[in-house]
Amino acid sequence: MSEPTQKYRDKNVVNILIKKINTLAEKSSETIRIMHVCGTHEHDLVKAGLRSLLPKNIDLIAGPGCPVCVCSAQDIDEVLWIADNHNVTITTFGDMMRVPSSTESLYQAQGRGVAVKIVYGISDAIKMAEKNPDEEIVFFSVGFETTSCVTAAEVARTNLPNFSVYSSHKVVPPAMELLLQRDDLEFDGFLAPGHVSTIIGAKPYEFIPEKYNFPVSIAGFEPVDILLGIYAVLEQIVEGTARVDNMYKRYVKYEGNPAASRIVDDAFVVSDARWRGLGVWPETGHEISDKYAHIDAKKKYNIPNLPTEDLRGGCICDEILIGKSKPQKCELFNKSCRPDHPIGACMVSHEGTCNVAATYEEIIWEE
Amino acid sequence: MCLAIPGLVCELINEKRVMVDITGVRREADTSLLEESLDVGDYVLVHTGFIISKLDPKQAKEDLKLWDEILSNQ
Repeated sequence: MSEPTQKYRDKNVVNILIKKINTLAEKSSETIRIMHVCGTHEHDLVKAGLRSLLPKNIDLIAGPGCPVCVCSAQDIDEVLWIADNHNVTITTFGDMMRVPSSTESLYQAQGRGVAVKIVYGISDAIKMAEKNPDEEIVFFSVGFETTSCVTAAEVARTNLPNFSVYSSHKVVPPAMELLLQRDDLEFDGFLAPGHVSTIIGAKPYEFIPEKYNFPVSIAGFEPVDILLGIYAVLEQIVEGTARVDNMYKRYVKYEGNPAASRIVDDAFVVSDARWRGLGVWPETGHEISDKYAHIDAKKKYNIPNLPTEDLRGGCICDEILIGKSKPQKCELFNKSCRPDHPIGACMVSHEGTCNVAATYEEIIWEE
Repeated sequence: MCLAIPGLVCELINEKRVMVDITGVRREADTSLLEESLDVGDYVLVHTGFIISKLDPKQAKEDLKLWDEILSNQ
């Protein structure tokens, strides 16, 4: 038996919330744009059909919230370079397998003999290294704060000469700030990611209303959770106020999970990070700290500068990732680029914006 | 990726590990990331084998009260 989630899926509650959201939205004659920055939000809200239930003047935009999608080709190039030049076994999440590097995916590399193994998490990669002391294992680690803390916990307690971690971890709040500063994006409120927030809490978002007078609400993932988040941020937008509303309080505390945050601060330092098609975003990445340099694959292997290409064959993942374009605008979408044959990174993961739109045949996106 | 699955603690194994029931499937979870102590019957969020958050039952009840407020205020 699991958490009594049924009540967060209650059809009557959903209907009443939709009605209330409608009433609020009617107060504005403009289109109201709300951006979420979480792949799980995109997947869960589309699966539940929520976009089609929202009023016409609400545009729910998918931001760069899928860690597999935002992973730059260069990171995969580097991991493959390590595999090709140092005879190591690459371990990573299943979601990473088909993400394109500049030339191939890990899955394709596996086809030409590179040792790549899918694991459930870093702990399984460590077990593999313990059982096979003669084999060099590199764990290719991606993810936002939710996953960083798990990697950090293992990094801090593992000391195996044949195990290292390649970090492609990223942090959410500074990326949200960079989105706010872009001139080419127009939106009115943020729906903040619930599970990232279980770790960092509500506090790290407070600069958004304080510095930018911009509304934020933190939302969970059941239909009622997501709608409550939308309702809260919409209320702020319509009233012209700005604060951080925490609508996922049963799991998200104001201060987050302090033990997990301490572990992250010990094992990682904030660094600049490459985002697919978007270049280097300052202070949005997590690199392994000097204290644990012995486990950092980037320090263990002397990786040269590699030529790199994030977007291939007309892919517009760079625009999709920041919600500037909808998947349907891409010429490749559902033609040459499909869930069973992804060309761009956003079509790979089941949480990627293009994959979700193709899988659930979302057709409501109109220009 | 940031998928975290709610589960019910059904057995305390040792200081750092508990057994969690996730929709009928039992699996071990690591508690190293949690400051609070856990008991059998606690709801938790599990991410890649680690517990990242424990449900606050008091808060869950308050959430329901908040809903009532929003829903009755039609």
